[in-house]
Amino acid sequence: MIYRRPFLTFAAASALLTAVHPSRAQSADRASAFLKSLGDQLVAVVNGPGSIGSKRAAMTRIIDSDVDVDGIGRFCLGRYWRLATPEQQKQYLKIFREVLVTNITSKLGDYQGVTFTMGRSRPQDEEAVVSTTVIRPNNPPTAVDWIIANPSSDPKVIDVVAEGTSLRLTQRQDYASYLAHNNNSIEALITAMRNQVSQNS
Amino acid sequence: MRSVRRARPSFAGTSRLLALSAILLIGLAACATKPPADDPDAVADFKQTNDPLEPTNRVFYAINNGIDTVILRPLAQAYRFAVPGAVRQGIHNVLSNIATPGQLTNDMLEGKPRRAGDTAMRFLINTTVGVFGIFDVAKRWGYPDHDADFGMTMANWGVPEGPFLFLPVLGPTDPRDAAGFGINIAIDPFTWVGGPNDTGWTVFKWTRYGLNAVDSRERVLDSLDQIKKTALDPYATFRSLYRQHRHAQIEEMRNDHGATVPVWFPRPASESSASSK
Repeated sequence: MIYRRPFLTFAAASALLTAVHPSRAQSADRASAFLKSLGDQLVAVVNGPGSIGSKRAAMTRIIDSDVDVDGIGRFCLGRYWRLATPEQQKQYLKIFREVLVTNITSKLGDYQGVTFTMGRSRPQDEEAVVSTTVIRPNNPPTAVDWIIANPSSDPKVIDVVAEGTSLRLTQRQDYASYLAHNNNSIEALITAMRNQVSQNS
Repeated sequence: MRSVRRARPSFAGTSRLLALSAILLIGLAACATKPPADDPDAVADFKQTNDPLEPTNRVFYAINNGIDTVILRPLAQAYRFAVPGAVRQGIHNVLSNIATPGQLTNDMLEGKPRRAGDTAMRFLINTTVGVFGIFDVAKRWGYPDHDADFGMTMANWGVPEGPFLFLPVLGPTDPRDAAGFGINIAIDPFTWVGGPNDTGWTVFKWTRYGLNAVDSRERVLDSLDQIKKTALDPYATFRSLYRQHRHAQIEEMRNDHGATVPVWFPRPASESSASSK
């Protein structure tokens, strides 16, 4: 009788732990399912009917719900994030989202006819990596890895690695170089990003 | 997965070019200004970027970019416009097949017997069943292609990559890969076939180098256009992309531990599941 209570507590605790921390393999499976659904949505929008305007709107919705845009934005600013004023941080994140959306939606036409195949998925630290092969007309097949944060609770894409090149790391080094050549001025970076959006959209 | 293959001018031409660029580098070598020591973050950035010759590199980037805009890119566009996709793929396969002997040497120098076996099988199958390499039959038969060049070989030997370089013709590289590029041409048996007066082989070699350049450029047409359109500093973006891509290729080669074990050889259960691709 005396031992029963601790035993029950232990059983309950371990059950709870199992529920809260599903095995890493399981979280990789969930990341895989999440990405399959995301990929299907993206392909459906790109190849589907509808005007460019409606496609852009649909794309923006998908990006907002499945991509951690603010997290990627902070990563891309790197050490300059801490140097920015709260107001600049706000402005930067706003324009970063527009840059991301414009970069993706401006090449919707080029991606017409795109398909993808799912590959392996594996846990990596707190994240999950899902491998895919993206096939688009006129281009050689590309190996694309998707890095998914919080795979088992609230999955979000935090990076896309194409042929071994990380999108967010490349972007971070692009911004860092721009800032280094423009007196480390975050204002200048925000202005350049604005110009880019107005040119490419 | 295939990687971007660069144009390969003839060995004599390349060594002359390399010598010329070395002279230019020494003459022009302007060094990037080091950030002040009281800004540790900036110093860390400077070290990580590892591009001490940045001002010179940027000059060559501008020159290469100009040449690309007026010659190579229009050629690649014309090639895509005039030649159907299936034919382009066939040409690409033939070019890859011609490069397999050099690839095999590098696989062996890297100490990757399984990769060497794959390459040898690819050459045998694709040259015969694949009709001089036009069709990549070997891939369907379980011998996928992989990257191998002397730069990767040296990386596996522990040679450090050194600072970033942007050279005329070669484009983004580093001392290790630039040296590897030259040695790669030297270990390619097709570099040495035919004498200087052998018109047939000379035509073959130059056609191969020319087609290689146009084929590689055509394969990255869309990607390069996109990068130039979206990067705030395209030079820095290409620098980052080149390094990441090289590191990924080298990592993939290093982690490829497939061993060539005869089928009759008893092996532990864990290994048999790991080695099945």
